[in-house]
Amino acid sequence: MTPWLVIVLLLGNFILMAFDARDINTGQRIIRVWSQTAADFVQSPVTTASSSFSGYFGSIATLRSAQTENDVLKQRIQELELEVKGNEELTSENQRLKSLLGLKETSKYKVLPARIIGRDPSVWFDSSIINRGSLDGVNLNMPVVTDGGLVGRITAVSPLTAQVDLITLDKSGVAGVIGEISTSNVLGVIKGTSKKDLLEMRYVSGSVEVQPGQTIYTTGQDGIFPPGLKVGEIVEVKSGSATVPHQIFVRPSARIDSMQEVGILMYEPPARDEFEQKLPNAITKEKVR
Amino acid sequence: MQQLKLPIALIIAVILQWTLRNVAEPFAYIDFPLIIVVYAALHRDSVKAIFSGTFAGLAVDALSGGLMGATGFSKTFVAYAVSELARRVYLDNLLLRIPVIAGACVIDDLLYYGLHRLLGQEPSAEFFVTIAYTLIGTTIAGTIIYLLMEYFLAERTRPKRRDAFATRRQTRRRNPIRLGK
Repeated sequence: MTPWLVIVLLLGNFILMAFDARDINTGQRIIRVWSQTAADFVQSPVTTASSSFSGYFGSIATLRSAQTENDVLKQRIQELELEVKGNEELTSENQRLKSLLGLKETSKYKVLPARIIGRDPSVWFDSSIINRGSLDGVNLNMPVVTDGGLVGRITAVSPLTAQVDLITLDKSGVAGVIGEISTSNVLGVIKGTSKKDLLEMRYVSGSVEVQPGQTIYTTGQDGIFPPGLKVGEIVEVKSGSATVPHQIFVRPSARIDSMQEVGILMYEPPARDEFEQKLPNAITKEKVR
Repeated sequence: MQQLKLPIALIIAVILQWTLRNVAEPFAYIDFPLIIVVYAALHRDSVKAIFSGTFAGLAVDALSGGLMGATGFSKTFVAYAVSELARRVYLDNLLLRIPVIAGACVIDDLLYYGLHRLLGQEPSAEFFVTIAYTLIGTTIAGTIIYLLMEYFLAERTRPKRRDAFATRRQTRRRNPIRLGK
């Protein structure tokens, strides 16, 4: 009887896998959703307890250097006060200039703060679980950011939690541009390299000049991430030629390996048809005629 | 109560797998559910081991970025293989169990990786490094956990030394007064 039982269970697992692999990017399986919800009741208290535990011992360890640090910080406060005064002047000048130009400073997207409550239990992958779910308005494919830059996107949502796939994953892809989107047309695709501190930008023409230290932003052409989000900085360029694209390595600007809190951009990309119609090479009805 | 010990150990293992990586990254290299599944399989209860493998695998998959069912598949296979091995070979000694947990760990990882490659989902971790670290972490942790489990779970089933032998028949002492007669 046992061999038959094994065959049935293995077959069941394989069917589940094949079903999941068919639509990995938006695969919302009911078993995954409810397991994540159930796990939240365990993960949240453990995360809180472990962070307070490590914080307690960390504070004891840092107590010894507190006096020196205090003196340095006092000096730094004085420096910053001067800097703040300078910035206030610059801000007021900036506001005046903006009002002259008729620009309105508006926050484009609402940001929902979230805390990382769990990491991928499998060592082969590196997704994160956050404490916001569909009850907070989180949807699939919403971009996740930190103050440093882009982190990843939501790949599974349960009522209380959501799963985030990082941009460093092999299967991730972000449409990027080197430099500001309005001033540059050096486009490419940023892929993960399985290393937490390195991304690779592909399909950048070898005839374009690219330098280490340049910043990369999202273009919004992938239909997932909004344009203008900072992705990272170029750290290495293996030059290509007229027919071979550059091999560009990028360090993510978000500190992916040590982040504890993230923000979810409540961004809904435009509908694909509408989006494609906006592209310069779109086939419109007028063009067909 | 004896029947509940294994499911409880398995649930604790799954919870540890879910949470410990958040505490410290090296814990990710210890496969707690696999240790319990192999322990169940070593006790020659194939059905219990197989179901433990499927349950633990699916619980891990549910929170993982990998394919749903991949860990379930690999752990079910490993549970069956180890229970069949335990039926044919004497593995009741702890020293013999160490290579078994190491082998189970390698097979589990190879199956998991292979299934993902087969279905076009490249895992993000490096192949050899991950397998090596998982092998070391799981084997060391497994050996310690087996020692503890043998101590705590098997202690009551083991007969006490006094009960293990038949009571010695006391020879009746002769009355020294009578002997003196």
